[in-house]
Amino acid sequence: MLDITISRGTTVALSKAEFDLLLADLRENGYQTVGPRVQDESIVYADIQTLADLPRGVQTEQEAGHFRLMRGASNNYFDFIPAADSWKKFLFPPRVDLLTVRKGKGWEYVETETATPRYALVGVRGCELAAIEIQDKIFIRPDFYDPTYRLRREGLFIIAVNCLHPAGTCFCTSMGTGPKVQGSYDLCLTELDDVFLVEIGSELGRSLLSKRKYDLPSAFVQNIANQRLARAVQEMGRSLDTRDLPGLLTEPENLEAARWDEVAKRCLSCGNCTQVCPTCFCWDATDSVNLSATQASRTRVWDSCFNPAYSYVFGGNTRPTIRARYRQWLTHKFGAWKEQFGTLGCTGCGRCITWCPAKIDHVAEIAALREEVNS
Amino acid sequence: MTSLLPQSAPPTAGHPGKLIQPDWAEIVRITPETEGISTFWLRFIDPQVRERYHFQPGQFNMLYLPGYGESAISMSSDPEDEERLVAHTIRFVGTVTKNIGRLKVGDVIGVRGPFGTSWPMKQIEGRDLVLACGGIGLPPLRPAIYHIIRNREKYGKVTLLYGARTPKDLMYPDEHEEWQRHDIHMEISVDRGDENWDGRVGVVPMWFYNFRIDPRNTAVLTCGPEIMIRFVIYEGLARRIPAERIFVSLERNMKCGQGSCGHCQIGPYFICKDGPVFPFSVLQRYVNVEEY
Amino acid sequence: MANPEVLAELKKIPWFGTLSPEHLEKLAGITTLRPVKAGETLFKEGDRQDYVYIVLEGRVALEIFVPHRGKVRIYTCEQHDVFGWSSVTPLVRQRTAGATAVLNSRVACMDAEKLRQICDEDRDLGYLVMRRLANVVASRLMVTRLQLIDMFANPEEKNA
Repeated sequence: MLDITISRGTTVALSKAEFDLLLADLRENGYQTVGPRVQDESIVYADIQTLADLPRGVQTEQEAGHFRLMRGASNNYFDFIPAADSWKKFLFPPRVDLLTVRKGKGWEYVETETATPRYALVGVRGCELAAIEIQDKIFIRPDFYDPTYRLRREGLFIIAVNCLHPAGTCFCTSMGTGPKVQGSYDLCLTELDDVFLVEIGSELGRSLLSKRKYDLPSAFVQNIANQRLARAVQEMGRSLDTRDLPGLLTEPENLEAARWDEVAKRCLSCGNCTQVCPTCFCWDATDSVNLSATQASRTRVWDSCFNPAYSYVFGGNTRPTIRARYRQWLTHKFGAWKEQFGTLGCTGCGRCITWCPAKIDHVAEIAALREEVNS
Repeated sequence: MTSLLPQSAPPTAGHPGKLIQPDWAEIVRITPETEGISTFWLRFIDPQVRERYHFQPGQFNMLYLPGYGESAISMSSDPEDEERLVAHTIRFVGTVTKNIGRLKVGDVIGVRGPFGTSWPMKQIEGRDLVLACGGIGLPPLRPAIYHIIRNREKYGKVTLLYGARTPKDLMYPDEHEEWQRHDIHMEISVDRGDENWDGRVGVVPMWFYNFRIDPRNTAVLTCGPEIMIRFVIYEGLARRIPAERIFVSLERNMKCGQGSCGHCQIGPYFICKDGPVFPFSVLQRYVNVEEY
Repeated sequence: MANPEVLAELKKIPWFGTLSPEHLEKLAGITTLRPVKAGETLFKEGDRQDYVYIVLEGRVALEIFVPHRGKVRIYTCEQHDVFGWSSVTPLVRQRTAGATAVLNSRVACMDAEKLRQICDEDRDLGYLVMRRLANVVASRLMVTRLQLIDMFANPEEKNA
């Protein structure tokens, strides 16, 4: 009998059947297990019970304005690259009730306490984990925190997965977020044909794993995993030169470049890029009343800097043109964000490129802007 | 991010465990100012909130009218008000403020705050002050005026430049005499005079052409339409007042007041928490970028 | 020799303080002082031009008569403001606005024709005077632009 003591940092080999038992354990411990599922010819993050719910043997073809599911060469579960859906919706839900008040003598709060869900995220990519850690900086700050986000985040169990088949719109290597997972996870998977290599990232992860049957991976198996990760770096669809960021996008003279006019002709201001972006955090509060106007509610909804109403102050919009709004988005994401939160707002997941109906490639836009201002 | 001005204490009205849950305040007095503008005097219903709530000149509250939403409004009263009332001078223009305009004494509204940076009253002690405001830009400066009056010996020459559209749009006329009695020199100008108006017809930035200032010792505080602010800045800079000593108060769409909802950004700044009061030196690089 | 009282008054105006004694003397020599009572009209729109004015104290309003609206007060001149400057532009026309004292005022009146003459003869002084007038015109233009924008208007009104 081998003596296997596992601790943080240990990598073990876990059969896929055992992984299903681990998911069951999570649910028994009160976690809602959510992960990728095929739906509407795309992939969404939703409730999953076992690996059978995952998109098995599915790969994705992604280019600017293009997404297609394909039959892959293997029967693996994580060969695809995520679609429009991101984990953001679990921590920063698209709709949250903020408060309800009832008219009495003045106004009084109607308590609508709902239990905070405890999610176990299954299959978080390097870029996606980096995105969660960026949103942490926005929603949990020393001077302010968003209670909805914080409660959900504190209870989160993260099973990350290393990407082995990057898509055409991926550029995580440029942003330093993948394809190998970098952030803080409980468990991190590398999927081989028969087993998962599981790296332990937390005590909670260790504890769950310790109940399963696992082996220590041989050098041969580890080497295959490493080779596949190295190949993934080579297969990265796009690359973004970040050496002159954020300055390129914050220099006032660059804000008047002709490229902004050019891209504004193509941009529809639909806001897709902001809705699929795993770091975009803007929100709005909307109000509603019952018919007798005795009860009123406020609801938080996702907003987008592409909405004309976003920058409306009474009497006018401070960013009335698509040029101004596109510029705000790109210069925030790759520019001002750095000063605000100490990091750029992009993790290289490529969603904004894939899901742009006008095929605007923001990586190419930055390169074009650079070329214009440097010439 | 490092703060630009002394950071104010965290908001004392509103529930920190909730994202945007206001405390309730009763309207105890409504003072009509000019057409479409009134001052609402509020008293927090919860005595504890009343006790702990304190604001600095230039800060704002988020006022909540159930069913309509919130609106960011600066305080216009004396921060040291003896009755601990908090006043907001409100122009009835948007959905929220128009419906606040329909409220009566005794009605209740929600309040979160105070938010944002304040006029740097401490930092500008010993200086000559030019307070340049126009229209609805006077109310956010009024708490600063009260502060100056209370600490008059700490400041040099104080000049209040105030512009309005017509003579009947001038606010707080009853107090002007009192302010002048405390050696605050007032220069009022209107865009359009009438035959009964023997004051100035012109615009606020024009004052700089007529008066001499000592640029080495003058600080400017300005609030009003952005176009007026820009011209005040141009004139101030042309007379060599350093950009770090020109303080401006900006307005943008705001939903949260805490640098979370994203709406009020200009460059790297969230106006709701890094502003609304900024030294112009930090805004200089953006002021002439159109639609930024 | 210029009137010493005029000289003393002009010296109080910062710009005149920057002139050489010789230039100052020349300008003072074509200047007279005039008290104006509140309500008194200095000139009316349509008058032949004769003077450039400087407010020494008080307040003088510039007004244009608009049919159906009466006199519209477009600007008030404060201490040290220059008005009537169009009388030194090359194309001399009749007055384009009227000037009426709002408060009891005193103004310095500079003979416009002589001023043009002096400026032609002494190009150095002419340059200084024109430079000063350019600044006056620039300030007047700024005011006019800002008034044109109608920045205090209720946006609803504008959109209606």
